[in-house]
Amino acid sequence: MSSWAHRRITQLGGNVVAAGRAIRELWMVYVSTIAGIYRNLRRTTGSPRGELVRQMYSIGNRSLFFIIVTLGFIGMVMTYEACLQLSRVTGEYSQVGPQFLRLIVSDFGPTLAGLMLATRVGAGIAAEIGSMKVTEQIDALRMSGVLPIDYLIVPRFLASLVMTVMLTVVGSGVMYAAGGLTAQYSFGVNPHVYFDIAQVRPRHLIMMTIKAAAFGAAIPIVAGFCGLRARGSSEGVGWATTAAVIGSSFAVIALDFVISAAALFVTGGDL
Amino acid sequence: MANNEWALTRAVAGIGTAAMKISDEVGGIVVLTGQVLRALVPPRIDRRELFKNLHKMGNKSVPIVVLTAFFAGGLMTLQSAPFVKKLNATSLAGWGAGYAVLREIGPILIALMFSGRVGANNTAELATMTVTEQLDGLRALAIDPVRFLVVPRVIAMIVMLVALTVIGDQVALLGASVVGRSMLDISWSTMFHSFADNLKPYDFLHGVYKSIAFGGAIAVSSCYFGVTVKGGAVGVGRAVNAAVVAAAVSIMLLDFFLTYTTG
Repeated sequence: MSSWAHRRITQLGGNVVAAGRAIRELWMVYVSTIAGIYRNLRRTTGSPRGELVRQMYSIGNRSLFFIIVTLGFIGMVMTYEACLQLSRVTGEYSQVGPQFLRLIVSDFGPTLAGLMLATRVGAGIAAEIGSMKVTEQIDALRMSGVLPIDYLIVPRFLASLVMTVMLTVVGSGVMYAAGGLTAQYSFGVNPHVYFDIAQVRPRHLIMMTIKAAAFGAAIPIVAGFCGLRARGSSEGVGWATTAAVIGSSFAVIALDFVISAAALFVTGGDL
Repeated sequence: MANNEWALTRAVAGIGTAAMKISDEVGGIVVLTGQVLRALVPPRIDRRELFKNLHKMGNKSVPIVVLTAFFAGGLMTLQSAPFVKKLNATSLAGWGAGYAVLREIGPILIALMFSGRVGANNTAELATMTVTEQLDGLRALAIDPVRFLVVPRVIAMIVMLVALTVIGDQVALLGASVVGRSMLDISWSTMFHSFADNLKPYDFLHGVYKSIAFGGAIAVSSCYFGVTVKGGAVGVGRAVNAAVVAAAVSIMLLDFFLTYTTG
Protein backbone atom coordinates (compact mmCIF):
# COMPACT_ATOMS: atom_id res chain seq x y z
CA MET A 1 0.00 0.00 0.00
CA SER A 2 2.62 2.50 1.05
CA SER A 3 4.85 1.50 -1.84
CA TRP A 4 1.90 2.00 -4.22
CA ALA A 5 1.21 5.45 -2.78
CA HIS A 6 4.91 6.23 -2.89
CA ARG A 7 5.07 5.27 -6.54
CA ARG A 8 2.00 7.33 -7.47
CA ILE A 9 3.32 10.39 -5.64
CA THR A 10 6.73 10.02 -7.24
CA GLN A 11 5.08 9.76 -10.65
CA LEU A 12 2.89 12.79 -10.02
CA GLY A 13 5.85 14.81 -8.78
CA GLY A 14 7.86 13.75 -11.82
CA ASN A 15 5.08 14.90 -14.12
CA VAL A 16 4.81 18.26 -12.36
CA VAL A 17 8.56 18.84 -12.58
CA ALA A 18 8.59 17.86 -16.27
CA ALA A 19 5.65 20.18 -16.98
CA GLY A 20 7.33 23.04 -15.15
CA ARG A 21 10.53 22.48 -17.09
CA ALA A 22 8.59 22.38 -20.39
CA ILE A 23 6.80 25.63 -19.57
CA ARG A 24 10.11 27.29 -18.72
CA GLU A 25 11.64 26.07 -21.98
CA LEU A 26 8.62 27.26 -23.96
CA TRP A 27 8.96 30.67 -22.33
CA MET A 28 12.67 30.72 -23.19
CA VAL A 29 11.87 29.95 -26.85
CA TYR A 30 9.38 32.83 -26.85
CA VAL A 31 11.79 35.30 -25.23
CA SER A 32 14.67 34.33 -27.49
CA THR A 33 12.44 34.67 -30.54
CA ILE A 34 11.56 38.23 -29.55
CA ALA A 35 15.23 38.91 -28.86
CA GLY A 36 16.06 37.30 -32.19
CA ILE A 37 13.79 39.72 -34.04
CA TYR A 38 15.65 42.60 -32.41
CA ARG A 39 19.00 41.03 -33.27
CA ASN A 40 17.93 40.54 -36.88
CA LEU A 41 16.85 44.17 -37.14
CA ARG A 42 20.21 45.43 -35.94
CA ARG A 43 22.17 43.07 -38.12
CA THR A 44 23.04 44.43 -41.54
CA THR A 45 24.68 41.35 -43.03
CA GLY A 46 24.16 37.66 -42.76
CA SER A 47 20.46 37.63 -41.99
CA PRO A 48 18.49 35.18 -44.14
CA ARG A 49 16.42 37.65 -46.14
CA GLY A 50 14.90 35.29 -48.68
CA GLU A 51 13.91 32.98 -45.85
CA LEU A 52 11.14 35.27 -44.57
CA VAL A 53 9.50 35.50 -48.00
CA ARG A 54 9.84 31.75 -48.49
CA GLN A 55 8.24 31.05 -45.14
CA MET A 56 5.42 33.48 -45.89
CA TYR A 57 4.78 31.62 -49.12
CA SER A 58 4.81 28.18 -47.50
CA ILE A 59 2.74 29.22 -44.46
CA GLY A 60 0.38 31.63 -46.19
CA ASN A 61 -0.14 30.93 -49.86
CA ARG A 62 0.06 27.20 -49.54
CA SER A 63 -2.58 27.17 -46.78
CA LEU A 64 -4.99 29.33 -48.75
CA PHE A 65 -6.85 26.51 -50.48
CA PHE A 66 -7.09 24.51 -47.25
CA ILE A 67 -8.49 27.50 -45.32
CA ILE A 68 -10.99 28.34 -48.07
CA VAL A 69 -12.33 24.76 -48.24
CA THR A 70 -12.63 24.17 -44.50
CA LEU A 71 -13.98 27.57 -43.46
CA GLY A 72 -16.32 27.69 -46.45
CA PHE A 73 -17.93 24.40 -45.48
CA ILE A 74 -18.21 25.28 -41.82
CA GLY A 75 -19.78 28.62 -42.74
CA MET A 76 -22.44 26.76 -44.74
CA VAL A 77 -23.10 24.35 -41.88
CA MET A 78 -23.44 27.08 -39.28
CA THR A 79 -25.88 29.14 -41.33
CA TYR A 80 -27.85 26.02 -42.13
CA GLU A 81 -28.14 25.06 -38.46
CA ALA A 82 -29.07 28.59 -37.42
CA CYS A 83 -31.77 28.92 -40.12
CA LEU A 84 -33.10 25.45 -39.32
CA GLN A 85 -33.46 26.34 -35.68
CA LEU A 86 -35.10 29.68 -36.49
CA SER A 87 -37.52 28.06 -38.94
CA ARG A 88 -38.87 25.97 -36.06
CA VAL A 89 -39.24 28.93 -33.70
CA THR A 90 -40.08 32.14 -35.53
CA GLY A 91 -39.32 31.69 -39.22
CA GLU A 92 -37.87 35.17 -39.33
CA TYR A 93 -34.42 35.22 -40.93
CA SER A 94 -33.60 38.92 -41.08
CA GLN A 95 -31.11 38.76 -38.20
CA VAL A 96 -29.21 35.66 -39.39
CA GLY A 97 -26.74 37.43 -41.66
CA PRO A 98 -25.85 40.42 -39.47
CA GLN A 99 -25.53 38.37 -36.29
CA PHE A 100 -23.56 35.65 -38.05
CA LEU A 101 -21.15 38.26 -39.34
CA ARG A 102 -20.76 39.65 -35.82
CA LEU A 103 -19.97 36.17 -34.50
CA ILE A 104 -17.54 35.45 -37.34
CA VAL A 105 -15.65 38.68 -36.83
CA SER A 106 -15.48 38.50 -33.06
CA ASP A 107 -14.92 34.77 -32.63
CA PHE A 108 -15.44 32.07 -35.25
CA GLY A 109 -13.29 33.52 -38.04
CA PRO A 110 -10.02 33.89 -36.14
CA THR A 111 -10.57 30.80 -33.97
CA LEU A 112 -11.42 28.36 -36.74
CA ALA A 113 -8.72 29.76 -39.03
CA GLY A 114 -6.32 29.49 -36.09
CA LEU A 115 -7.30 25.89 -35.40
CA MET A 116 -6.92 24.93 -39.05
CA LEU A 117 -3.53 26.63 -39.25
CA ALA A 118 -2.49 24.98 -35.99
CA THR A 119 -2.97 21.60 -37.63
CA ARG A 120 -1.44 22.46 -40.98
CA VAL A 121 1.29 24.99 -40.14
CA GLY A 122 2.03 23.71 -36.64
CA ALA A 123 2.52 20.15 -37.82
CA GLY A 124 4.62 21.36 -40.75
CA ILE A 125 6.96 23.46 -38.62
CA ALA A 126 7.40 20.72 -36.02
CA ALA A 127 8.02 18.06 -38.66
CA GLU A 128 10.61 20.21 -40.43
CA ILE A 129 12.49 21.39 -37.34
CA GLY A 130 12.13 17.96 -35.70
CA SER A 131 13.74 16.19 -38.64
CA MET A 132 16.53 18.77 -38.64
CA LYS A 133 17.03 18.10 -34.93
CA VAL A 134 17.26 14.31 -35.21
CA THR A 135 19.57 14.49 -38.23
CA GLU A 136 21.82 16.80 -36.16
CA GLN A 137 21.44 19.74 -38.52
CA ILE A 138 20.56 21.97 -35.56
CA ASP A 139 23.83 21.03 -33.87
CA ALA A 140 25.62 21.80 -37.11
CA LEU A 141 24.03 25.26 -37.13
CA ARG A 142 25.16 25.85 -33.57
CA MET A 143 28.65 24.67 -34.47
CA SER A 144 28.89 27.26 -37.22
CA GLY A 145 27.95 30.00 -34.78
CA VAL A 146 24.37 30.47 -35.98
CA LEU A 147 21.63 30.59 -33.32
CA PRO A 148 18.97 28.04 -34.37
CA ILE A 149 16.22 30.27 -33.01
CA ASP A 150 17.34 33.26 -35.09
CA TYR A 151 17.77 31.17 -38.20
CA LEU A 152 14.73 28.87 -37.96
CA ILE A 153 12.08 30.21 -35.61
CA VAL A 154 12.25 33.97 -36.18
CA PRO A 155 11.34 33.87 -39.91
CA ARG A 156 8.53 31.39 -39.21
CA PHE A 157 7.28 33.52 -36.34
CA LEU A 158 7.10 36.70 -38.42
CA ALA A 159 5.64 34.91 -41.43
CA SER A 160 2.98 33.19 -39.36
CA LEU A 161 2.10 36.43 -37.55
CA VAL A 162 1.44 38.25 -40.83
CA MET A 163 -0.11 35.36 -42.70
CA THR A 164 -2.49 34.24 -39.96
CA VAL A 165 -4.02 37.73 -39.89
CA MET A 166 -4.35 37.70 -43.70
CA LEU A 167 -5.79 34.19 -43.84
CA THR A 168 -8.22 35.03 -41.04
CA VAL A 169 -9.59 37.91 -43.09
CA VAL A 170 -9.87 35.78 -46.24
CA GLY A 171 -11.33 32.83 -44.35
CA SER A 172 -13.91 34.98 -42.57
CA GLY A 173 -14.99 36.46 -45.88
CA VAL A 174 -15.33 33.02 -47.43
CA MET A 175 -17.24 31.74 -44.41
CA TYR A 176 -19.68 34.63 -44.55
CA ALA A 177 -20.20 34.37 -48.30
CA ALA A 178 -20.69 30.59 -48.16
CA GLY A 179 -23.24 31.11 -45.39
CA GLY A 180 -25.03 33.69 -47.52
CA LEU A 181 -25.32 31.28 -50.44
CA THR A 182 -26.70 28.56 -48.17
CA ALA A 183 -29.22 30.93 -46.63
CA GLN A 184 -30.36 32.09 -50.04
CA TYR A 185 -30.67 28.72 -51.74
CA SER A 186 -31.91 26.60 -48.84
CA PHE A 187 -34.11 29.05 -46.98
CA GLY A 188 -34.78 31.80 -49.51
CA VAL A 189 -33.16 34.57 -47.47
CA ASN A 190 -32.79 37.75 -49.50
CA PRO A 191 -29.06 38.52 -50.01
CA HIS A 192 -29.72 42.21 -49.34
CA VAL A 193 -31.01 41.27 -45.92
CA TYR A 194 -28.21 38.78 -45.28
CA PHE A 195 -25.24 40.88 -46.35
CA ASP A 196 -25.75 43.64 -43.84
CA ILE A 197 -22.78 44.81 -41.80
CA ALA A 198 -24.76 46.92 -39.32
CA GLN A 199 -24.01 44.71 -36.32
CA VAL A 200 -20.22 44.84 -36.66
CA ARG A 201 -18.55 47.50 -34.58
CA PRO A 202 -14.92 48.67 -34.57
CA ARG A 203 -14.29 46.79 -31.31
CA HIS A 204 -15.14 43.52 -33.07
CA LEU A 205 -12.57 44.23 -35.76
CA ILE A 206 -9.98 45.09 -33.11
CA MET A 207 -10.74 41.84 -31.33
CA MET A 208 -10.42 39.88 -34.58
CA THR A 209 -6.99 41.38 -35.24
CA ILE A 210 -5.81 40.77 -31.67
CA LYS A 211 -7.00 37.17 -31.73
CA ALA A 212 -5.53 36.42 -35.15
CA ALA A 213 -2.19 37.96 -34.18
CA ALA A 214 -2.13 36.06 -30.88
CA PHE A 215 -2.84 32.74 -32.61
CA GLY A 216 -0.33 33.53 -35.35
CA ALA A 217 2.33 34.18 -32.71
CA ALA A 218 1.47 31.15 -30.57
CA ILE A 219 1.47 28.51 -33.34
CA PRO A 220 5.11 28.78 -34.52
CA ILE A 221 6.42 29.19 -30.95
CA VAL A 222 4.66 26.06 -29.66
CA ALA A 223 5.44 24.07 -32.81
CA GLY A 224 9.06 25.21 -32.94
CA PHE A 225 9.49 24.33 -29.27
CA CYS A 226 8.09 20.85 -29.90
CA GLY A 227 10.33 20.42 -32.94
CA LEU A 228 13.46 21.48 -31.03
CA ARG A 229 12.64 18.94 -28.31
CA ALA A 230 12.49 16.03 -30.78
CA ARG A 231 14.76 13.17 -29.80
CA GLY A 232 15.67 9.81 -31.26
CA SER A 233 14.94 9.12 -34.91
CA SER A 234 11.80 8.92 -36.99
CA GLU A 235 9.71 8.04 -33.95
CA GLY A 236 10.86 11.21 -32.20
CA VAL A 237 9.82 13.32 -35.19
CA GLY A 238 6.38 11.72 -35.14
CA TRP A 239 5.99 12.43 -31.44
CA ALA A 240 7.14 16.02 -31.87
CA THR A 241 4.64 16.61 -34.66
CA THR A 242 1.80 15.14 -32.61
CA ALA A 243 2.73 17.27 -29.61
CA ALA A 244 2.86 20.35 -31.83
CA VAL A 245 -0.63 19.80 -33.23
CA ILE A 246 -2.11 19.25 -29.79
CA GLY A 247 -0.15 22.05 -28.14
CA SER A 248 -0.88 24.68 -30.76
CA SER A 249 -4.59 23.73 -31.10
CA PHE A 250 -4.98 23.93 -27.36
CA ALA A 251 -3.09 27.23 -27.27
CA VAL A 252 -5.57 28.63 -29.81
CA ILE A 253 -8.60 27.54 -27.77
CA ALA A 254 -7.18 28.72 -24.45
CA LEU A 255 -6.04 32.08 -25.87
CA ASP A 256 -9.44 32.52 -27.49
CA PHE A 257 -11.13 32.00 -24.15
CA VAL A 258 -8.77 34.36 -22.33
CA ILE A 259 -9.07 37.13 -24.93
CA SER A 260 -12.88 36.80 -25.13
CA ALA A 261 -13.23 36.92 -21.35
CA ALA A 262 -10.86 39.89 -21.12
CA ALA A 263 -12.83 41.71 -23.83
CA LEU A 264 -16.06 41.04 -21.97
CA PHE A 265 -14.63 42.61 -18.82
CA VAL A 266 -13.05 45.55 -20.63
CA THR A 267 -16.27 46.44 -22.45
CA GLY A 268 -18.44 45.73 -19.41
CA GLY A 269 -20.54 43.04 -21.11
CA ASP A 270 -21.45 45.30 -24.03
CA LEU A 271 -19.54 43.35 -26.63
CA MET B 1 5.10 37.09 -74.44
CA ALA B 2 6.90 33.76 -74.46
CA ASN B 3 7.56 34.30 -70.79
CA ASN B 4 3.86 34.74 -70.10
CA GLU B 5 2.99 31.57 -71.94
CA TRP B 6 5.53 29.71 -69.86
CA ALA B 7 4.02 31.06 -66.65
CA LEU B 8 0.57 29.98 -67.78
CA THR B 9 1.78 26.50 -68.69
CA ARG B 10 3.49 26.18 -65.35
CA ALA B 11 0.37 27.30 -63.49
CA VAL B 12 -1.82 24.79 -65.33
CA ALA B 13 0.76 22.07 -64.75
CA GLY B 14 0.83 22.95 -61.07
CA ILE B 15 -2.94 22.70 -60.76
CA GLY B 16 -2.88 19.39 -62.60
CA THR B 17 -0.16 17.99 -60.37
CA ALA B 18 -2.04 19.05 -57.25
CA ALA B 19 -5.26 17.50 -58.58
CA MET B 20 -3.47 14.25 -59.40
CA LYS B 21 -1.95 14.15 -55.91
CA ILE B 22 -5.31 14.73 -54.23
CA SER B 23 -6.98 12.06 -56.41
CA ASP B 24 -4.16 9.67 -55.58
CA GLU B 25 -4.65 10.23 -51.85
CA VAL B 26 -8.44 10.02 -51.97
CA GLY B 27 -8.22 6.85 -54.05
CA GLY B 28 -5.72 5.31 -51.65
CA ILE B 29 -7.95 6.12 -48.68
CA VAL B 30 -10.98 4.59 -50.40
CA VAL B 31 -9.02 1.43 -51.26
CA LEU B 32 -7.82 1.15 -47.66
CA THR B 33 -11.42 1.57 -46.45
CA GLY B 34 -12.42 -1.27 -48.74
CA GLN B 35 -9.64 -3.47 -47.38
CA VAL B 36 -10.70 -2.69 -43.80
CA LEU B 37 -14.33 -3.59 -44.57
CA ARG B 38 -13.19 -6.74 -46.35
CA ALA B 39 -11.10 -7.75 -43.31
CA LEU B 40 -14.18 -7.31 -41.12
CA VAL B 41 -16.29 -9.89 -42.92
CA PRO B 42 -15.30 -12.87 -40.82
CA PRO B 43 -14.69 -10.63 -37.79
CA ARG B 44 -11.37 -11.98 -36.57
CA ILE B 45 -9.82 -9.13 -34.66
CA ASP B 46 -6.67 -9.36 -32.62
CA ARG B 47 -8.16 -8.75 -29.19
CA ARG B 48 -4.98 -7.69 -27.40
CA GLU B 49 -4.15 -5.12 -30.05
CA LEU B 50 -7.74 -3.84 -29.92
CA PHE B 51 -7.82 -3.37 -26.14
CA LYS B 52 -4.35 -1.83 -26.11
CA ASN B 53 -5.49 0.71 -28.69
CA LEU B 54 -8.81 1.38 -26.96
CA HIS B 55 -6.94 2.24 -23.76
CA LYS B 56 -4.21 4.24 -25.44
CA MET B 57 -6.59 6.21 -27.68
CA GLY B 58 -9.52 6.63 -25.33
CA ASN B 59 -8.51 6.77 -21.70
CA LYS B 60 -5.36 8.77 -22.30
CA SER B 61 -7.22 11.40 -24.36
CA VAL B 62 -9.72 12.19 -21.64
CA PRO B 63 -7.74 15.09 -20.05
CA ILE B 64 -7.21 17.01 -23.30
CA VAL B 65 -10.80 16.42 -24.46
CA VAL B 66 -12.22 17.52 -21.11
CA LEU B 67 -10.12 20.71 -21.10
CA THR B 68 -11.03 21.55 -24.69
CA ALA B 69 -14.72 20.89 -24.15
CA PHE B 70 -14.80 22.99 -20.98
CA PHE B 71 -13.28 25.99 -22.76
CA ALA B 72 -15.51 25.48 -25.81
CA GLY B 73 -18.66 25.46 -23.69
CA GLY B 74 -17.50 28.55 -21.82
CA LEU B 75 -16.78 30.33 -25.08
CA MET B 76 -20.26 29.67 -26.39
CA THR B 77 -21.77 31.27 -23.29
CA LEU B 78 -19.40 34.22 -23.64
CA GLN B 79 -20.48 34.67 -27.25
CA SER B 80 -24.16 34.59 -26.40
CA ALA B 81 -23.62 37.06 -23.54
CA PRO B 82 -24.35 40.22 -25.58
CA PHE B 83 -27.82 38.96 -26.58
CA VAL B 84 -28.57 37.81 -23.08
CA LYS B 85 -27.61 41.17 -21.62
CA LYS B 86 -29.39 43.13 -24.32
CA LEU B 87 -32.66 41.21 -24.16
CA ASN B 88 -32.33 40.47 -20.46
CA ALA B 89 -33.35 36.93 -21.33
CA THR B 90 -31.13 34.69 -19.22
CA SER B 91 -33.41 31.75 -19.95
CA LEU B 92 -32.21 31.81 -23.57
CA ALA B 93 -28.50 31.58 -22.71
CA GLY B 94 -28.67 27.81 -22.45
CA TRP B 95 -30.49 27.56 -25.76
CA GLY B 96 -27.78 29.24 -27.82
CA ALA B 97 -24.83 27.71 -25.99
CA GLY B 98 -26.32 24.22 -25.67
CA TYR B 99 -27.53 24.03 -29.23
CA ALA B 100 -24.19 25.16 -30.65
CA VAL B 101 -22.24 22.84 -28.37
CA LEU B 102 -24.28 19.68 -28.89
CA ARG B 103 -24.76 19.93 -32.63
CA GLU B 104 -21.61 21.59 -33.98
CA ILE B 105 -18.87 22.95 -31.78
CA GLY B 106 -18.65 19.97 -29.42
CA PRO B 107 -18.28 17.18 -31.99
CA ILE B 108 -16.08 19.25 -34.32
CA LEU B 109 -13.66 20.53 -31.69
CA ILE B 110 -13.39 17.16 -30.00
CA ALA B 111 -12.81 15.47 -33.35
CA LEU B 112 -10.11 18.01 -34.24
CA MET B 113 -8.33 17.50 -30.92
CA PHE B 114 -8.73 13.74 -31.28
CA SER B 115 -7.25 13.92 -34.76
CA GLY B 116 -4.33 15.90 -33.37
CA ARG B 117 -3.64 13.66 -30.43
CA VAL B 118 -4.67 10.18 -31.56
CA GLY B 119 -4.72 10.41 -35.34
CA ALA B 120 -1.32 12.10 -35.59
CA ASN B 121 0.14 9.73 -33.02
CA ASN B 122 -1.21 6.74 -34.89
CA THR B 123 0.27 7.99 -38.17
CA ALA B 124 3.61 8.53 -36.48
CA GLU B 125 3.55 5.03 -35.01
CA LEU B 126 2.54 3.26 -38.22
CA ALA B 127 4.93 5.39 -40.26
CA THR B 128 7.81 4.49 -37.97
CA MET B 129 6.89 0.83 -38.35
CA THR B 130 6.77 1.26 -42.12
CA VAL B 131 10.13 3.02 -42.49
CA THR B 132 11.81 0.50 -40.19
CA GLU B 133 10.34 -2.25 -42.42
CA GLN B 134 8.32 -3.87 -39.64
CA LEU B 135 5.32 -4.06 -41.97
CA ASP B 136 7.37 -6.06 -44.46
CA GLY B 137 8.39 -8.25 -41.56
CA LEU B 138 4.75 -8.95 -40.79
CA ARG B 139 4.05 -9.73 -44.43
CA ALA B 140 7.00 -12.13 -44.47
CA LEU B 141 5.36 -13.96 -41.57
CA ALA B 142 2.12 -14.17 -43.62
CA ILE B 143 0.34 -11.73 -41.29
CA ASP B 144 -1.83 -9.23 -43.13
CA PRO B 145 -0.85 -5.75 -41.79
CA VAL B 146 -4.32 -4.37 -42.56
CA ARG B 147 -6.03 -7.07 -40.55
CA PHE B 148 -3.52 -7.04 -37.71
CA LEU B 149 -2.69 -3.33 -37.38
CA VAL B 150 -5.22 -1.19 -39.20
CA VAL B 151 -8.56 -2.84 -38.34
CA PRO B 152 -8.14 -2.71 -34.53
CA ARG B 153 -7.09 0.93 -34.77
CA VAL B 154 -10.06 1.89 -36.93
CA ILE B 155 -12.50 0.20 -34.56
CA ALA B 156 -10.79 1.69 -31.49
CA MET B 157 -10.87 5.21 -32.91
CA ILE B 158 -14.54 5.10 -33.89
CA VAL B 159 -15.62 3.67 -30.52
CA MET B 160 -13.48 6.04 -28.51
CA LEU B 161 -14.33 9.20 -30.43
CA VAL B 162 -18.03 8.51 -29.82
CA ALA B 163 -17.37 7.89 -26.12
CA LEU B 164 -15.24 11.02 -25.83
CA THR B 165 -17.88 13.11 -27.61
CA VAL B 166 -20.50 11.92 -25.14
CA ILE B 167 -18.25 12.86 -22.20
CA GLY B 168 -17.10 16.07 -23.84
CA ASP B 169 -20.67 17.26 -24.50
CA GLN B 170 -21.49 16.99 -20.81
CA VAL B 171 -18.29 18.77 -19.82
CA ALA B 172 -18.99 21.53 -22.35
CA LEU B 173 -22.46 22.10 -20.90
CA LEU B 174 -20.85 22.22 -17.45
CA GLY B 175 -18.31 24.74 -18.77
CA ALA B 176 -21.13 26.84 -20.20
CA SER B 177 -22.88 26.83 -16.82
CA VAL B 178 -19.70 27.67 -14.89
CA VAL B 179 -18.92 30.63 -17.15
CA GLY B 180 -22.56 31.75 -16.99
CA ARG B 181 -22.49 31.61 -13.21
CA SER B 182 -19.12 33.26 -12.67
CA MET B 183 -19.07 35.91 -15.39
CA LEU B 184 -22.70 36.63 -16.31
CA ASP B 185 -24.57 36.01 -13.05
CA ILE B 186 -26.84 33.32 -14.47
CA SER B 187 -27.77 30.92 -11.69
CA TRP B 188 -27.20 27.18 -12.00
CA SER B 189 -30.91 26.40 -11.98
CA THR B 190 -31.75 28.98 -14.67
CA MET B 191 -29.07 27.48 -16.88
CA PHE B 192 -30.21 23.94 -16.18
CA HIS B 193 -33.85 24.71 -16.99
CA SER B 194 -32.75 26.58 -20.07
CA PHE B 195 -30.92 23.45 -21.27
CA ALA B 196 -33.75 21.13 -20.30
CA ASP B 197 -36.48 23.20 -21.97
CA ASN B 198 -34.75 24.01 -25.24
CA LEU B 199 -32.59 21.02 -26.08
CA LYS B 200 -34.05 17.84 -27.47
CA PRO B 201 -32.54 14.37 -27.35
CA TYR B 202 -32.19 14.55 -31.09
CA ASP B 203 -29.75 17.48 -30.81
CA PHE B 204 -27.48 15.32 -28.70
CA LEU B 205 -27.82 12.29 -31.01
CA HIS B 206 -27.10 14.44 -34.04
CA GLY B 207 -23.68 15.28 -32.59
CA VAL B 208 -23.03 11.70 -31.57
CA TYR B 209 -23.71 10.11 -34.92
CA LYS B 210 -21.62 12.76 -36.62
CA SER B 211 -18.76 11.70 -34.40
CA ILE B 212 -19.06 8.13 -35.71
CA ALA B 213 -18.34 9.44 -39.20
CA PHE B 214 -15.55 11.72 -37.95
CA GLY B 215 -13.93 8.81 -36.11
CA GLY B 216 -13.97 6.66 -39.22
CA ALA B 217 -12.53 9.44 -41.37
CA ILE B 218 -9.74 10.22 -38.90
CA ALA B 219 -8.91 6.53 -38.49
CA VAL B 220 -8.74 5.63 -42.17
CA SER B 221 -6.82 8.73 -43.25
CA SER B 222 -4.30 8.47 -40.42
CA CYS B 223 -3.68 4.78 -41.15
CA TYR B 224 -3.38 5.46 -44.89
CA PHE B 225 -0.68 8.08 -44.47
CA GLY B 226 1.06 5.87 -41.92
CA VAL B 227 1.37 2.80 -44.13
CA THR B 228 2.25 4.64 -47.34
CA VAL B 229 5.09 6.74 -45.91
CA LYS B 230 8.39 6.94 -47.78
CA GLY B 231 11.84 7.92 -46.60
CA GLY B 232 13.15 8.18 -43.07
CA ALA B 233 12.51 10.76 -40.37
CA VAL B 234 11.63 13.52 -42.85
CA GLY B 235 8.99 11.27 -44.42
CA VAL B 236 7.45 10.51 -41.03
CA GLY B 237 7.05 14.19 -40.22
CA ARG B 238 5.53 14.86 -43.63
CA ALA B 239 3.14 11.91 -43.28
CA VAL B 240 1.87 13.18 -39.92
CA ASN B 241 1.37 16.63 -41.40
CA ALA B 242 -0.56 15.23 -44.38
CA ALA B 243 -2.68 13.04 -42.09
CA VAL B 244 -3.87 15.88 -39.85
CA VAL B 245 -4.63 18.08 -42.84
CA ALA B 246 -6.62 15.30 -44.52
CA ALA B 247 -8.47 14.60 -41.27
CA ALA B 248 -9.37 18.28 -40.81
CA VAL B 249 -10.68 18.60 -44.37
CA SER B 250 -12.69 15.39 -44.17
CA ILE B 251 -14.20 16.40 -40.81
CA MET B 252 -15.47 19.66 -42.32
CA LEU B 253 -16.78 17.99 -45.50
CA LEU B 254 -18.53 15.17 -43.61
CA ASP B 255 -20.01 17.69 -41.18
CA PHE B 256 -21.51 19.61 -44.06
CA PHE B 257 -22.97 16.61 -45.84
CA LEU B 258 -24.33 14.99 -42.69
CA THR B 259 -25.95 18.21 -41.53
CA TYR B 260 -27.39 18.86 -44.95
CA THR B 261 -28.82 15.39 -45.50
CA THR B 262 -30.17 14.69 -42.02
CA GLY B 263 -30.88 18.14 -40.60
